[in-house]
Amino acid sequence: METFAPDVSSLPAAHPRARRLSADAAIKTFFASNAFVAIVVLALITVFLVREGFGFFGENLKGIRLYRRAGLEYVDILRATAQRHSLLSRELSQIRLQESDANALAAFDQFATGFSDAADDLSGIVSDTGDQALALREQGATDPNAVTALRVAETRFDQTAPVMKDKIDNLIATAPQLPTARAQHSFEKWKQNARVYLASFPETSQKLHAWNPNEPVPAYRAITSFLFGREWITASFWQDWYGIIPLLVGSIMVAAVALALAVPLGVASAIYVSEIAARGEKSLIKPYIEFIAAIPSVVLGFFGIAVVGQAVRAASHMSIFHWVPFFPISERLNVFTAGSLLALMAVPTIFTLSEDALRNVPRGFKEASYALGANRLQTIARVLVPASLSGIVSASLLGLGRVIGETMVVLLCAGNRIAIPDFTQGVGAFFQPVHTMTGIIAQEMGEVVRGSIHYRALFMVGLVLFLLTLGINYLAQKFVARFRMTIG
Amino acid sequence: MVSLLKMPDSLQQHLRRETNEPPNEPREIAVEIDDVDFAYGAHQVLFDVDLAIPPRAVTAFIGPSGCGKTTLLRCINRMNDLIDGARLTQGSIKIDNVDINAPEVDVVDLRRRVGMVFQKSNPFPKSIYENIAYGLRIAGVKKRRAIDEAVEKSLRAAALWDEVKDRLEKNAFGLSGGQQQRLCIARALAVEPQVVLMDEPCSALDPIATAKIEELIHQLKSEYTIIIVTHNMQQAGRVSDSTAFFYLGRLIEFDATEKIFSNPGEKRTEDYITGRFG
Ligand SMILES: Nc1ncnc2c1ncn2[C@@H]1O[C@H](COP(=O)(O)OP(=O)(O)O)[C@@H](O)[C@H]1O
Ligand SMILES: [Mg+2]
Repeated sequence: METFAPDVSSLPAAHPRARRLSADAAIKTFFASNAFVAIVVLALITVFLVREGFGFFGENLKGIRLYRRAGLEYVDILRATAQRHSLLSRELSQIRLQESDANALAAFDQFATGFSDAADDLSGIVSDTGDQALALREQGATDPNAVTALRVAETRFDQTAPVMKDKIDNLIATAPQLPTARAQHSFEKWKQNARVYLASFPETSQKLHAWNPNEPVPAYRAITSFLFGREWITASFWQDWYGIIPLLVGSIMVAAVALALAVPLGVASAIYVSEIAARGEKSLIKPYIEFIAAIPSVVLGFFGIAVVGQAVRAASHMSIFHWVPFFPISERLNVFTAGSLLALMAVPTIFTLSEDALRNVPRGFKEASYALGANRLQTIARVLVPASLSGIVSASLLGLGRVIGETMVVLLCAGNRIAIPDFTQGVGAFFQPVHTMTGIIAQEMGEVVRGSIHYRALFMVGLVLFLLTLGINYLAQKFVARFRMTIG
Repeated sequence: MVSLLKMPDSLQQHLRRETNEPPNEPREIAVEIDDVDFAYGAHQVLFDVDLAIPPRAVTAFIGPSGCGKTTLLRCINRMNDLIDGARLTQGSIKIDNVDINAPEVDVVDLRRRVGMVFQKSNPFPKSIYENIAYGLRIAGVKKRRAIDEAVEKSLRAAALWDEVKDRLEKNAFGLSGGQQQRLCIARALAVEPQVVLMDEPCSALDPIATAKIEELIHQLKSEYTIIIVTHNMQQAGRVSDSTAFFYLGRLIEFDATEKIFSNPGEKRTEDYITGRFG
């Protein structure tokens, strides 16, 4: 055999080697082309998003300029005052709920009606000028003099404001006393707010006088009104606003809740599985957690609506929780409901990657720690977790990426109210409904006219979302790289 | 039943000569390994190992790969507890006449008394200072002064102080391989153990770093009982007072190192030492 061996191998050797080479080359080409395709797709997505989205800014600027030229901006100064008035009216009806004495209530109702009626003149001015402004916008506001016709409003306001102030001052001076201490306390606070409101009339008047329809709108407003705009109002009879802030805040709040729940849960179970669990437990827990990732998000959403939201609201109505300041909550679908379900979706990601990181901590660290007399808890807390920290951080970041990009659950469970939650309620803000960037795209994309400003605005939201997730993933990669370095 | 192998006369005489002790007084024993069988699950790897390790001396474990040296070493600080199904199936190991596997023995306390240095240096990914302080911190020492002193003392004992005193706050991974291993020795010394176990501590080091560690071992033996596993016959000859030769999980011969190397009592020992197998 051995004497033959050289002969046998020397002749046909070229053949298999050539084949092996080509197989290598094929594998290489395959992966290279895969990577290439991925890069091309990514580039195409970016280009497409940018192309569809960037037209938005031009149109947005046009919209804002028209808003000024047609005098809608002018009317909005008045509307703000009227809105403040009706907000105060609404607060009165809230205070009414805290009172039970029938006599006091009759007097209080009279007071409330009086207050609400005091704004009748103001509402009249707003609706008259509003109609004019809308008509102007309809014509494209080409005639710069047409807007002057609106400006009788400021004279009318200057006449109405003192009368209104007198009426309300009188009302407050003769306001009824409420027997319930809590109601009276709220009422006193309300009176203060009302006085501040009354004191703002001269300022409003000043603003109306100073308003100039021909003042140019700077181009950057097209961008700032999108990035920092606090209102997302579409298809309204008045003025559409495309401000991303309420959506961004919604997304961030939901993600924050999700991470606050998922990171401790995911990391703790990773620690448990990699360090504490017996082999039998391990083979049970691991697939179980990883299975959660396979649940379709729409099913989770259903579960969120039917079970979690319901349960949270029911719990908030229970008397043992009455000490919580913002309980009972009124909305079943809110930040917390969506966040806790998203947490469920993020746990498998965080768990799997953290467990990897923990398992990759060299055995030597662990042994050294035990050999120095450390117990298991000390070894976990002082050696294993610090050594795998960047892996755990990157796992959490990838979990965040997953949560920010998730659509179905937030669409179903976040409540879809486009408004920045009321942060004066503190943690209670997390129990209010919000809308999210992903949710709004999914909800509105189907109904918008292709190429319209609304359509383009949605693409811009998509672009922001894309950049955000890209940034998060990039950070996660950096942490992974650092993790490899410290371990290596 | 006292095995003849336990502490042979020739070894006792050698140790007396070394330390100028009066003759005819039985040598005290640091670690007494009494007729030990050990198994990983169903796989038995140690058979009837019977050995008395002298205090304040260096004992070398030699033998071909897989003969159970590491296993025996890790029995002495119960590191094998961490492995599922690994257990002593017979016999006992005593330190200060107390069975270390007795239920009332606290394994944490045992490991503080029996330090260990591993084959591959394994400093924590922390600063040099924190590496040494670790053992004290987990033992509940909080006083900064006490820790500072212990750090300096053990770094000096490990002959590393002069090299690192200006960069105690730097990451230990910045040290060379030999320095890292000496750091690990210093880390083990910081909790003031009686016994230090070393599992092939120089196998990954260059000759100069190896020489430094051997020199260090030589200095440490006046205070510590050292047990070292080595594959390197010259090293065993240079650093140890006594040598135990293992083969296929059995202790074949245990005696003063000079006797093992000059005049072994067993044919297999001679074959191994002269390189005929292994
Ligand atoms: N964790 C373990 N589980 C099962 N068998 C092991 C384990 N560690 C070592 N062994 C076995 O025990 C025997 C002795 O190993 P070891 O003590 O490492 O030998 P040495 O250190 O002398 O080379 C070998 O046969 C090895 O395969
Ligand atoms: Mg070994």
